[in-house]
Amino acid sequence: MDERRLVREAQEGSGAAMAELYSLHWRRAYRAAYLVVHDAAAAEDVAQDAFLAAVDALDRFDRRRPFAPWLHRIVVNRALDWARRESLRRRVAQTESVFEPLPPPEEIGGEMIAALKELPAEQRAVVVLRHLLEYTPGEIAEMLELPRGTVNSRLRRGLDRLREVAEAEIVAEGRR
Amino acid sequence: MSRRNPLAEALREVKIRTPDGAEKRGLRVVEAAYAERRSSDSELRGVMTPKTSERQGRRPLPRLALALGLATLLAAALLSPAGAAVRGWVDDAITNGAPHPEPTLARVPGGGRLLVQTGEGPVVVRADGSKRLLGDYEGASWSPHGLFVAAVKGRTLSALEPDGTSHWSITAAERVAVPRWSPSGERIAYFSGFDLRVVAGDGSEDRLLAGSAPGTPPDGSVSPAYVPPAWSPTGADELAYVTGAARLRIIDSETGAVLAGAPALSRITSMDWADGGRKILEASPGTLRLRSLLPAGHPARPGLGGARRLALPPGATVNDAALAPQRPLVAVSVTYWKKHGTYSEVIVYRPGHGARTLLSVPGSLGQVEWSPDGRRLLAAWPGANQWLFLPLEHGSGRAIADISKAIAPSGRPTSFPRLEGWCCRR
Repeated sequence: MDERRLVREAQEGSGAAMAELYSLHWRRAYRAAYLVVHDAAAAEDVAQDAFLAAVDALDRFDRRRPFAPWLHRIVVNRALDWARRESLRRRVAQTESVFEPLPPPEEIGGEMIAALKELPAEQRAVVVLRHLLEYTPGEIAEMLELPRGTVNSRLRRGLDRLREVAEAEIVAEGRR
Repeated sequence: MSRRNPLAEALREVKIRTPDGAEKRGLRVVEAAYAERRSSDSELRGVMTPKTSERQGRRPLPRLALALGLATLLAAALLSPAGAAVRGWVDDAITNGAPHPEPTLARVPGGGRLLVQTGEGPVVVRADGSKRLLGDYEGASWSPHGLFVAAVKGRTLSALEPDGTSHWSITAAERVAVPRWSPSGERIAYFSGFDLRVVAGDGSEDRLLAGSAPGTPPDGSVSPAYVPPAWSPTGADELAYVTGAARLRIIDSETGAVLAGAPALSRITSMDWADGGRKILEASPGTLRLRSLLPAGHPARPGLGGARRLALPPGATVNDAALAPQRPLVAVSVTYWKKHGTYSEVIVYRPGHGARTLLSVPGSLGQVEWSPDGRRLLAAWPGANQWLFLPLEHGSGRAIADISKAIAPSGRPTSFPRLEGWCCRR
């Protein structure tokens, strides 16, 4: 069944259509959230909250437009909010020793992904939108409400950093 | 031919950690939210069905429709025979405040013992009105049968007898807050900083249940982290709490595993299990709602389902909400503005059946607390420095004057006392 029809049926009250939309999009939404926040529980929360926001706004959704970019915009913005709060929390935890030490980073496999984790959240979000979800820089600028130049520079800096990490690891690997 | 993009491939294909059942858990919450939204829409349409002559007009704005719907519901409740009878009693007894309050609390109406936090520390008020200061603790709560009190001060959690004798104390890494005993009395859940911890009733086996919640604001001032945790009344190892990121979570109190989760109310102030463990009541200044849980025996138990708001008077701010111990009733203290100033009400809801306004006074009411048998309510009236004991069905109300002085152990007036519990049936 095509997505536009699912959206129309969900708007008209079909729970089955809503569930199908969820099943179609959850994994990609979760993956995008995870790659920005790098925390499984937080990614679950972000994905769930994004779908709840979608349910809330479903009546206002213009069904001539595709559903996925609308959902991804919510997912990535919420993931960014979470990552910023977490970053602030870590800084305070380091300076005031209010919190217990953070758990060790999760093993998610893949040098590229590990390197992605080292990027600032804003760069991660742009890289995920561009290379996982395959939006153009113009579309990303609209989703994140940023100037297109900012998107391009974040993308360039992020990719440069990923390349550096990947090359360093390749060199290190060669020395072993 | 398109160029190979190794980054895109890695992002698409790399294995990422996914919590067990995350997709299904989310689907249940989304389905429940969707069903709830649809049913609200239908209800709204039912309330606002226009008469024939109005049908050509624009459909009213949803917000306005909702306000009118709530007003209609409340008006119906007030004009029902039961509501009218209660209003009559209120008019006779304490309209415009309590004109002839009793000077001292000579006995606790209906019996039982009150636990009250004063400026000098927690105080137990016995059934005969006598008082006992437990020490210079900052907060306290009853054990299920009133045999002990859990008290906190700084980083210390203590178990005391109601005469103040200390049984044990433990020191946590961070400031301790809102200890809550399990229904069996075997464990106490509490916050230390932003960590949720649990300790056995004898002070042993203190351990972390849930770490610093993701998204916890760093300044520590946010209230959601200090919404008291709530034990399932069914006796199951299930504990509900609100994370610093305002998520409602139900966890296994043995393993800490997350059993269910959903967004909590924005600015949530209190939360508790309702309807024998079948629902969770959430309160925030602007909203009161009940969220259903999946029934016992369901394979996904205790998954969270849809949420239903309880109708409040338009513009009302919720001061406090309390669940009756023996009956499916929720008492709520609200304050709102009228033309000539601030007014407060105590409203008793029987979810699914309606609401009754038990009391309406000028000024601002504060906390509400049920008597152990669920037949009386104690409403705090800080502006008048009074406590009001309100029978739910028969008899007359009683007002006690000058509470900040009457309850203070030294007899010197301090800040208006905070109610911590009314215990127990035996």
